[in-house]
Formats: sequence, C-alpha cells, structure tokens
Amino acid sequence: MAVTFWYGCNMTRHGEVIRATLRLMQAVGITAEATGGPASCCGAPKEPDARIAGAMGARTVAQFNASGTGHVVTWCPTCHMNMQDVMAPATPTNFETLHVTELLHASRDALRPLLTRHVPARVLLHRHLGFDGRVPVNRLVADLLALVPGLELVEHELDLPGHMCSALAAVPGGLAQAQRATLAAMAESGADTLCTIFHSCHRELVGLEQGRAFRVANWVHLLAEAAGWDIADDYKAWRNAPDPRAAVGADGLASVGEAVFDRLVAPELRRPRPV
Amino acid sequence: MTLASAIRDDGARLAAACTACGACAAACPSPPFLGRPVTDPVAAATGLRATLRGEAPTAEGIAWIADCTRSGQCAAACPEALDVPYMMRLAGMRLRGALGEAPAIAGSADTGWAARVKAFGRLTMTEEEQARWL
Repeated sequence: MAVTFWYGCNMTRHGEVIRATLRLMQAVGITAEATGGPASCCGAPKEPDARIAGAMGARTVAQFNASGTGHVVTWCPTCHMNMQDVMAPATPTNFETLHVTELLHASRDALRPLLTRHVPARVLLHRHLGFDGRVPVNRLVADLLALVPGLELVEHELDLPGHMCSALAAVPGGLAQAQRATLAAMAESGADTLCTIFHSCHRELVGLEQGRAFRVANWVHLLAEAAGWDIADDYKAWRNAPDPRAAVGADGLASVGEAVFDRLVAPELRRPRPV
Repeated sequence: MTLASAIRDDGARLAAACTACGACAAACPSPPFLGRPVTDPVAAATGLRATLRGEAPTAEGIAWIADCTRSGQCAAACPEALDVPYMMRLAGMRLRGALGEAPAIAGSADTGWAARVKAFGRLTMTEEEQARWL
C-alpha cells in the first residue's frame, strides 16, 4: 500500500516524529512519502482571508491528486477536518483521507512484534473531545499504547474541550485552564508520563516538565522507544533549556541563520509558560 | 465551489434549516470551561444563524463563536441533526473577516507562520528530508 503522509505544517518542529511515523508505517508494509509545510497547506493559518486560504487548499488537493497514491494519511486534525469539510467539497479528489492512528491501529497485529523493549511508565493520555467525534483517536491511541510492554495507561475522566491545544491557545485563558486541569489529573492519577496525541498539544505541554517530576512524550515517541529506536525530542530540550540558543547549538544556528533564529525561533522557545 | 462561496452558500443553506433552539450552545463545553458560560443559549444560537445569513449577529452569538474551540459536542445536541461544528467554523471565519467584511472577532492571519514553519524544519530535518518533505 502506498500513501501520502500529510503531516501538516507545524509538525516541522518534530522531524523525529515524522521520521518515526514513516518508519512505523514502513514496518507494517506501507510505503509512505511525507509532505507538509506551507507548500501543502490546508489553508487554516490564513483563514481570516477566504481567498488565500481557499487557494492554498485547492493547490494542495491538486498536488495530492497528481501524486496518484490513492490514500492521504493525515496527522493534524485541523488538516483532516479541513480536507473533509471544505477542501474536498471544493476540489474533486481521487484519494481517500485517513488519519494516521486509523492506519496504524488497523495494522497493530503487525506492529506488536516490533515493540519488544520495556517502557516502564504510568501514562496519562492527554485527550481532547473535538476530533474524537470524527476519528476515535483517544481509543485508537490507547489501544496502540497497550502494545507497549511495561507501559500502564492510567484512568482519569479528564477530556479537554477543543480538538487540540492550539484551539484553546486561541481563546483567552484557554491554555492556562487546560494546563491546570492536566496538572491536576496527573497528580490525581499518579501518572509519571503525560502522553500527547497531537503536535500542538505536545508543543504547549513540554514546558510543563520544567521543575516537575514527570515527563511529556508523544505516543509516537513511546512506540519508537518500545521499538528500540533512538528518538530525541529536540524541541522539548530547547524549550526547557535555560538558554535555548546554546541548546540549539552552533550547527543549528548555522542551518537556520542567526537573524531567523532571533526573529522566529527564539521568541517561541522563550515564550512565557501559561502556568 | 470556493471557500468564500462555501461560507456564503453552505452558511445560508444551514441557517435556513436552523431553528435557533439553543441546544447546541447549551451543550458546548468550552464557555463553562473558560469560566464564562453561555447564559442565553437561544440568543447565542440566534447569533450563529444571523452570522451565517450575513446579518448582524447578537452579542451572545459573537461571544460564543469567539469561544469555540472545536469540541464538536454541538453536533450530537442538534435536534435537526445539522452539522453545527461546520456551521460554527463557517461563522467563525466570517466573523474574523474572511469575506472582507470588518472583523467582529479579533484574530488576524499569522504573518510569520510560513517562515517559522520552514525555520523549524531546517532545525529538525536533514537537508535531504527538507528537499523531500517540505
């Protein structure tokens, strides 16, 4: 089976997750070509202008149609919903849209022999309500984590509003309230690992590690760990470093450029924590 | 169909089927979570319907649409089985000025988005991965 893995735009902060997801797909016999970033955007970042957002979405559908793979596998719930709600209705498609959790969950019997390393962790799954009604990601990811030896998924009733944390970050007070509730759930459940499902949640939650005795990991990080793959979360290290510039290092600064780092990267890595 | 025509045409079509009963706003978990619950769900739903018609929305409607975080719980609540999450999305775009009208909800497009996405890609991907994936 050949697919286009449409990872979205803001996932570029986590090249290691894209890489590991491709490797997971490859391990179960799926040939995937990754694409994302501004060149294949759903248009969501430009929604305040329907002309621009609509043109971006139409261009992306045309690109996927031309790829001829027949399946576009999404990571980002915003991309997924935009494809189904506004992009595909506007521009005829010759592919089916699936979420990556659906694809990997359907192949979990093939994944199981790969996940042999013990990952001792008491894991609270960071769940949102929004996308789960479209694709049952909360159950699918829980089932995938259940394949990991040594991992215990703890029970807690917390289901946050929104489809992912970026939606809460866009409304006044939303992110702080969500993080307070998440911290309370971590304490009440006795979890030592907070597992994110989506990239925007991960981006917002990794900063909670600072000064606290738990870790934040994405579900792909945990599967990769169980497979014995080296998967460093550089973004988390930079975000929690006392000096993000030093943490990124000379090679990183050279690859991105000093001016771009100062203008675009450093402000994000140094932004205040909501709680 | 374009996104602009979807906002206009799908919005009008769905508004025509909406009774503004308020069940959607009453079921929405976002405002209470944010500490500002919807006090008049019918007024909020009336504002949603007006927005989709291109009419002046109620203050309650603007506040509710601004607090939408895409929780999706409105879908199951609608007695007419309308796609309320899609209605909220169309209304949100419209109130943020997507059709060129004066925005009623703050929030402009992120002008640094594309460059920032690329910058992080240069930090986390190899040159070969950038060439293939970006």
